[in-house]
Amino acid sequence: MKSGNYWMRRIFTSLLVIVIVLSLNFFLFRLMPGDPTSTLLDPRFSPEAKEELLKSYGLDKPLFQQFLLYVKQMLSFKFGLSFLSQKPVWQELAERLPNTLALLLPSLFLSAVLGTFLGVMAAKGRGKFSEKIVLMSGAVSFSFPSFFVQLVLLLLFAHVLPLFPLRGSASIPPPVGFWNLLGDKVWHMALPVLSLVLIGFGSWALYVRNLMVKTLGEDFVLLARAKGLREGQILWGHAFRTALPPIITIFFLSLPGVISGAVITETVFSLHGVGKFLLEAVSGHDYPAAGAAFYLLALITVICNLLADAAYALVDPRISFRKVRR
Amino acid sequence: MILRRYGILILIIFLILAFLAPLFMGPANETVAPPFSKPLWLDLKSPAPRSYSVKDEIFSFKWDGNPPATFSLKGTVSFDRPPERAFILLVTPSGAYKLADLSGAKRFDIDIDSRDVPLKLELGMDPFSDLSEIAFSERGIYELIVKSDEDATIDLNLDIHVGRWGIFGTDQRGRDVLRLFVEGIKISLLVGISATLLASTLGMGLGLLAGYLGGFVDSAIMRMIDVLLAIPTLPILMVISGIWGRGLWQIVLVLSIFSWMGTARVVRAMTLSIREAPYIENLRALGAPTGYILARHLVPEALPLLLAQMALGVPGAILAEAGLSFLGLSDPLMPSWGRMLHEAHVFGAFTGGAWWLIFPPGLGIAAICLTFIGIGRQLEERTDPRLKESLRK
Repeated sequence: MKSGNYWMRRIFTSLLVIVIVLSLNFFLFRLMPGDPTSTLLDPRFSPEAKEELLKSYGLDKPLFQQFLLYVKQMLSFKFGLSFLSQKPVWQELAERLPNTLALLLPSLFLSAVLGTFLGVMAAKGRGKFSEKIVLMSGAVSFSFPSFFVQLVLLLLFAHVLPLFPLRGSASIPPPVGFWNLLGDKVWHMALPVLSLVLIGFGSWALYVRNLMVKTLGEDFVLLARAKGLREGQILWGHAFRTALPPIITIFFLSLPGVISGAVITETVFSLHGVGKFLLEAVSGHDYPAAGAAFYLLALITVICNLLADAAYALVDPRISFRKVRR
Repeated sequence: MILRRYGILILIIFLILAFLAPLFMGPANETVAPPFSKPLWLDLKSPAPRSYSVKDEIFSFKWDGNPPATFSLKGTVSFDRPPERAFILLVTPSGAYKLADLSGAKRFDIDIDSRDVPLKLELGMDPFSDLSEIAFSERGIYELIVKSDEDATIDLNLDIHVGRWGIFGTDQRGRDVLRLFVEGIKISLLVGISATLLASTLGMGLGLLAGYLGGFVDSAIMRMIDVLLAIPTLPILMVISGIWGRGLWQIVLVLSIFSWMGTARVVRAMTLSIREAPYIENLRALGAPTGYILARHLVPEALPLLLAQMALGVPGAILAEAGLSFLGLSDPLMPSWGRMLHEAHVFGAFTGGAWWLIFPPGLGIAAICLTFIGIGRQLEERTDPRLKESLRK
């Protein structure tokens, strides 16, 4: 009963996010001054094509019906044509999505693992070197802009020491053979992923450390010590397991930030991804493309959120909703 | 840790720099030296850039260093009567260069740059050759001579640029990076503080409402927080700035709409715990209206914590604004730190190795954020001394 309630609420929130993102997309682009055709349709289109597209967008119908139609189209991934490239937006996005995921997932995973490990170590060795490192990296990740760190990394490891490529997500022309292709990909992705980990792990470590310090002060840890358990078992088996659910909460709270970071990272390293596509669309006034890219990024966030919820249910079978809130 | 102790002091220095320094400097968008000039202190032995005001017919100066990057001559020369033969000569130890012909008119506006191709062709040189390197190839006494058969009134400025300028050098448009840096402090502080103020006011209001009223209002506000927390901020900022335009106040408004959630949560939690306190119950029993209890008891109680939250929220707003500007989605005429990094990125600061365009704005953002984090932590410790002890343990 309780768990059903929890899932209902999470899924309801996710749906609400999607609905709000869609309505923002819909109304922001439509409530602009001027005729909707001037913003939704390319001025270079012929009148017949305009008429046809007007119909396919349903722009001749009342606003509410238009909205329903729009939601239906978005949910079935019919994003229309890009003004800039004249290709279907969906095709463009599908081409870029793998690159964005290849940037996001490894960096998210690596910074979570590294941050958690360092955070636990810092909580164990309070006042020692490891704690100072964690406190410092935490301050760095909260105050240094990601693009600055990335620009410096580029300057050092792509210009001064040409170990990595200056820009792009693949060599042109691409190398032949599967392994060469994979190697090329890794070579291009290494610096962006590394930079995201470098910026991201600090806040993780700081958070985990604070949680673990609190947990290590609890009575059950004292009891475990009194039982004569090994220090490693107390740390990982008792304290860390107890602290795990809030860590997973922070995982999904950090996701929107990570997605924002990915947009900037793709711009700095000129990666062929969804975020850079969004930037190009926004600066080129390519509204169907901008709306679709934003929708896709929000969708990635929502899906990751639900995955994090599933993981939460795994580590904390009680999942009482109130515990998550506080 | 130094930042923690001297946070307020550093903030005051930043404020003084941001609001007083522009009084002594020119406008931020002014070109002062050739593009990508290095900082002066990189090479202290070579001659500094020079600017001479020339009033006499023969002006001599000494040049004892490597050839300068460029030189320029600007100003006016006027005669009582139009001369038959008149010209400006640059006499160097190795030869003479006729920079301009001044015959046949009463007044000439001079604007000569060593990079001008017509000038080089006039002198019989290859258009791709470097005039300043050839003319200043030797050390010794140089003379700028205005030769004419009439009396001349001369008002000229000879600028010799050495490819180095000021403390932080110049950017791709030849603007002084130090001047842009100072302007960036102002923008960052303005956006950071005003967005946080707005967001905190919003967050405090909604948090108080949610916590005190409870029930439907509470769950509606909490749902709204959940939703807003799950929307990636930067993409939506990008979309909105693409539609609304790129002014500073639009950014501030949108930033505050998407950053009040943290404050609201803290205030709500606090209100929930205070609401049940006996003295509030007593007040209610005495018939105090809700508004009175909120304004006179809950707000003052929540205020210190709120101040700490505000200080800790400023870096987020500053970083978001910088990120947006870095993506090129800010007003191009308004220099800010993010914009500086954007231009460094777009105009290839790397291929020239122009690190002085990257470090001042980047470290500036970091310093200002660290300062506010330091102030916030200190305020937090004031309100909750337990935090301090747990750190020192």
